[in-house]
Amino acid sequence: MNALGFLRSRLWLVTLSALIALFVVNWILQPNLVTPNVLKSNLSVFLPVILVAIGQTYVVLGGDIDLSVGSIVALVNVVTVSVIAALGGGVGGVLGGIAAGLVVGVACGLLNGALVALLRFQAIVTTFATGIIFGGLALLVLPTAGLPVPAEYWRTYGSSPLGLPVVLWVLLAALLIVALIAGRPFIKHLAAAGGLRTAAFQTGLKLAQIRILAYALCGLFAAFASLSLTGETASGDPLMGRTLALASISAVVLGGTALAGGSGSAFGSVLGALVLGMIGNVIFFAGLPFDYQTLIQGLITLLALAGGVLVARRN
Amino acid sequence: MTPVLEATGITKRFGAVVALSNGTLSVGKGEVHALLGANGSGKSTLCKIIAGTVARDSGSLRLDGGDVSLKSPREAEARGIALFYQELSLVPQLSVADNIFLGHERTGAGGFLDSKQLRADTEALIARFASVAGSGFTADAPVSRLTPDQRQLVEILKVLAHKPRLIIFDEATAALDRRQVELFFTILRELKAEGVSTIFISHRMDEIFEISDRITVMRNGATVAAFATSETDRDSVVRSMIGDVAIRDRVERTVPASTGAPRLQLTGASNRRVRNVSLALKPGEILGLGGLQGQGQSALLQGLFGALPFTAGSIEIDGKPVRIHKPAEAIRHGLAYVSGDRGRDAALHGRSIFENIASATMVREKLALVWPRNLKPRFEAAAASLNTKYDGMEAPIGSLSGGNQQKIFIARWLATDAPVLLLDDPTKGIDLGAKADFFALVRELADKGTSIIFYASEDAELLSLCDRILVFNSGAISAELSGTTLDSFHLTNAAYGEVA
Amino acid sequence: MNRIKTILTDPLVLATVSILLLLGIGELLSPGFARGDQIIRLLVVSAILGMVAAGQSLVVIGGREGIDLSVGALISLGAVLAGNAMSGSDGGILPAILVAGGVTFVIGLINGLGVTLLRIPPLVMTLGMTGVVQGGLIVLSRGIPSGNAAPSLMGFVNRPLLLGLPGVLFLWALLGLGMWFLLRRTQLGYAIYAMGSNERAAVLTGLPVKLIRTLLYGFSGLLAGITGVVVIGYTGNSFVSVGDQYVLPSVIAVVIGGISLAGGSGNYLGVMLGAIALTLLQSVLTTLQLEFWGRQLIFGGVLLLLMLLYGRTKQLRV
Repeated sequence: MNALGFLRSRLWLVTLSALIALFVVNWILQPNLVTPNVLKSNLSVFLPVILVAIGQTYVVLGGDIDLSVGSIVALVNVVTVSVIAALGGGVGGVLGGIAAGLVVGVACGLLNGALVALLRFQAIVTTFATGIIFGGLALLVLPTAGLPVPAEYWRTYGSSPLGLPVVLWVLLAALLIVALIAGRPFIKHLAAAGGLRTAAFQTGLKLAQIRILAYALCGLFAAFASLSLTGETASGDPLMGRTLALASISAVVLGGTALAGGSGSAFGSVLGALVLGMIGNVIFFAGLPFDYQTLIQGLITLLALAGGVLVARRN
Repeated sequence: MTPVLEATGITKRFGAVVALSNGTLSVGKGEVHALLGANGSGKSTLCKIIAGTVARDSGSLRLDGGDVSLKSPREAEARGIALFYQELSLVPQLSVADNIFLGHERTGAGGFLDSKQLRADTEALIARFASVAGSGFTADAPVSRLTPDQRQLVEILKVLAHKPRLIIFDEATAALDRRQVELFFTILRELKAEGVSTIFISHRMDEIFEISDRITVMRNGATVAAFATSETDRDSVVRSMIGDVAIRDRVERTVPASTGAPRLQLTGASNRRVRNVSLALKPGEILGLGGLQGQGQSALLQGLFGALPFTAGSIEIDGKPVRIHKPAEAIRHGLAYVSGDRGRDAALHGRSIFENIASATMVREKLALVWPRNLKPRFEAAAASLNTKYDGMEAPIGSLSGGNQQKIFIARWLATDAPVLLLDDPTKGIDLGAKADFFALVRELADKGTSIIFYASEDAELLSLCDRILVFNSGAISAELSGTTLDSFHLTNAAYGEVA
Repeated sequence: MNRIKTILTDPLVLATVSILLLLGIGELLSPGFARGDQIIRLLVVSAILGMVAAGQSLVVIGGREGIDLSVGALISLGAVLAGNAMSGSDGGILPAILVAGGVTFVIGLINGLGVTLLRIPPLVMTLGMTGVVQGGLIVLSRGIPSGNAAPSLMGFVNRPLLLGLPGVLFLWALLGLGMWFLLRRTQLGYAIYAMGSNERAAVLTGLPVKLIRTLLYGFSGLLAGITGVVVIGYTGNSFVSVGDQYVLPSVIAVVIGGISLAGGSGNYLGVMLGAIALTLLQSVLTTLQLEFWGRQLIFGGVLLLLMLLYGRTKQLRV
């Protein structure tokens, strides 16, 4: 009983065990898994979901939800490639494009936060609607896929400075940001806002400010994810990232964050995103027909949501 | 010596209701000051004004002899005034330490959380309560794992952490057992020795005489008396609380209550808020539930109705044991429940009067199809028996005044012909005319044989209407009043008494 | 004055005015827009949207942030299942309806159980279910031919049956009557409004709220499946994403029709008008040759605007 209680409060340990088990199964099915190149390509595939899930964690922790992250990823992508093209490419153009992408990501998050926290709109339907708008804007900026980014961009993204691939550096940088946020009073205030909003209000916390900041962080991490995806695809795509909203929520729940808010951590969500990715790998290498993969992924996502919600509520 | 706090002639109106007509209170340095009064006497409003959560209309508030206007809880807090919340202000998911210092986190270099300092500060606070804290009460424990009394301790520690000069404890001891109360008092005396003043609201007279230095009594929104505790006694305090009104004011029943077998019998019932309650209700009887607010009266009624099901005990209706775990079962056994919190428990907002009445009838009579033409005459008759004023059955419920809305929610149950009526402070916030209509109807129903359990937060209503009153304190029945003891002196005394 | 304001903000009046306005604009932009046969064509499209919006209405009226985003995938599933059951022959129509309706009803019930028993937010639950159904469709569409509609079904949807109107319009009118009967003449209907208006009060009058809510998601699934059968009758054959385009319009039609996203209000007549107005709007936008992005911006903007009118939560107080 005590051991069970111990595990319930540390749900990420369960997720970590699942991750290790999946890794072993994956290794058996794919003997060359533990080689630098395969690991790197795996991380490249997982990285966008990991980054979006980190951002989603803050919103969910605060008792809200962001269904627009997928569209933010698409909008950041097309803005970035368009700005780079407009600036004529080159290092300066790439940096300008990245800056513009980050600004767009944060702006989208701020808009969501303002609608939900200041105008008191329902979070779910609001971000569903803004997601449609961001997606429409992405199509306005770039009607069809294309518009390649200059070689400086994707070459740098694929390179390995100081012996480690850039994708790993990005992951480490993201984890550092997560650690910096986890060490500040903000994270306690956010958990309080999501845990029992009336109590947080009675204690005198500035709830609107806290929730808007969470949405802005979510937008920022969606922008990071988009920039990583751009390094991968090397071009613009207004329909990019459509499945990321649900995938990020599943990763957050798998990582032990309560969907109702108030408890959880971004580190857990990283583990959750890795588990989702490894499940995809195992399905692929298990030799399942390709047609079944979407179904299995969908089922696992739904089961993860159901199981995560159930375990969190018993806690 | 200048008092720490001096409130004089404070007034406050909420709309047309005068909550406070003359709030006067003077608290000295290091003094434990008890504030007493019946429900609705204005003591909570006065405390909220002192703590900055409610703004006063007029009157003066002086701290250390200087006039102040406290515009927000933050401002009051900065001045060293802390309010202990009766409604818990804790976040269950956060740890004890995080809750105590929420919004006042200990930070070190670069604005990062200093968890070592946080833990040290928390443990120092907990150490003062070490012998009562109980198992599992650590700085890291999530509040959701704590027992209700441990949570209350966290709430107290949260107040103490700000090192205030004046603390207002509104029913701080309500969830504590005797041993914990002793320790709480030890803390209070310790604070007193440090020169911290406290305003102490309690519903236990023994506690008040044990701990307080002075007592201020309020009645009908005004301060009516102030005593030094050592120079007064229980009777004088109770008498000043009830005032000069006639102690006995009731209209005797014209039809005597039945002496037959009980219609409803409850034995040893307990749920989250009541423990081991037994009662018997006869046909045609009006049984009152008395005592201060929140002592388990509502929880008992909700337990009977299956909304807050009993976890122990048994219910018999007409001599047959029944199982009631949800409202639908209670309704089919002929129970009806009228809540005083209309907006939360009864109103189908935005729907018509017809729909608001129909929901209970459909369930009681298991109607699959609804023919408004057949039901309307019945509903109109039910509404008419209460003199309800409305503009046709299709008018939205929101078009009625509060009193007429409540009449509709009573009509909802009259239409089901329920033989047992559970009334949970049903006249809260309705006008005098509607109240009179309501009381006349309750009498009439009882005369026709309906059994009624009636909880009211106003003692006068209970005394004028009930055949018998069970007085509640801390979730249990502390006294039963009937015949000659059915007067306000006995009722107030029993409400403030220790559990027998 | 107040009376005029009440009439002007009545959803039924607003929807009717929008319909007339859009017809006028359409006729102005492209003469012949408001011709009889054109209007009948638009009504058929509206009927398809209106059917799926009927299920959406029930779920939304039931409250607790009720919404069903899986209707798109369930329309596709219904269409694919029906196509296979019929494979072009009239004898297969009844089995097609039974299979499509039965499977989507069960999937809808699962949505309902996720929402009531596991307390997963409806939007997340039904979005998750969308992924599963889409995955299932990929498997399904590989194993079996995509199938096509029976000639009678196509005739029922596209060709005049009575008074120059296709049969599907009579079916829609029948659905409208059925919805009215359900909501205004059965205990279930009264219970749906009660629980959407004030769930606690509904429980305190003894209504089995969880059971009803589960059923509502089942009904929504069932209606989506039947809509799928009509869709394949309209297009002749099916593909796995044929229903996607109906998800967002079904929500917006419900809200335009005067059903608050907070639940407990509105009626299906408003939603029928809402479906017609929205179909007209789409048609006008097509006439304007507004691209997909423009339509998305307008849809998203309309939804936010409607949130401003109906969807705000309560302010916190001390």
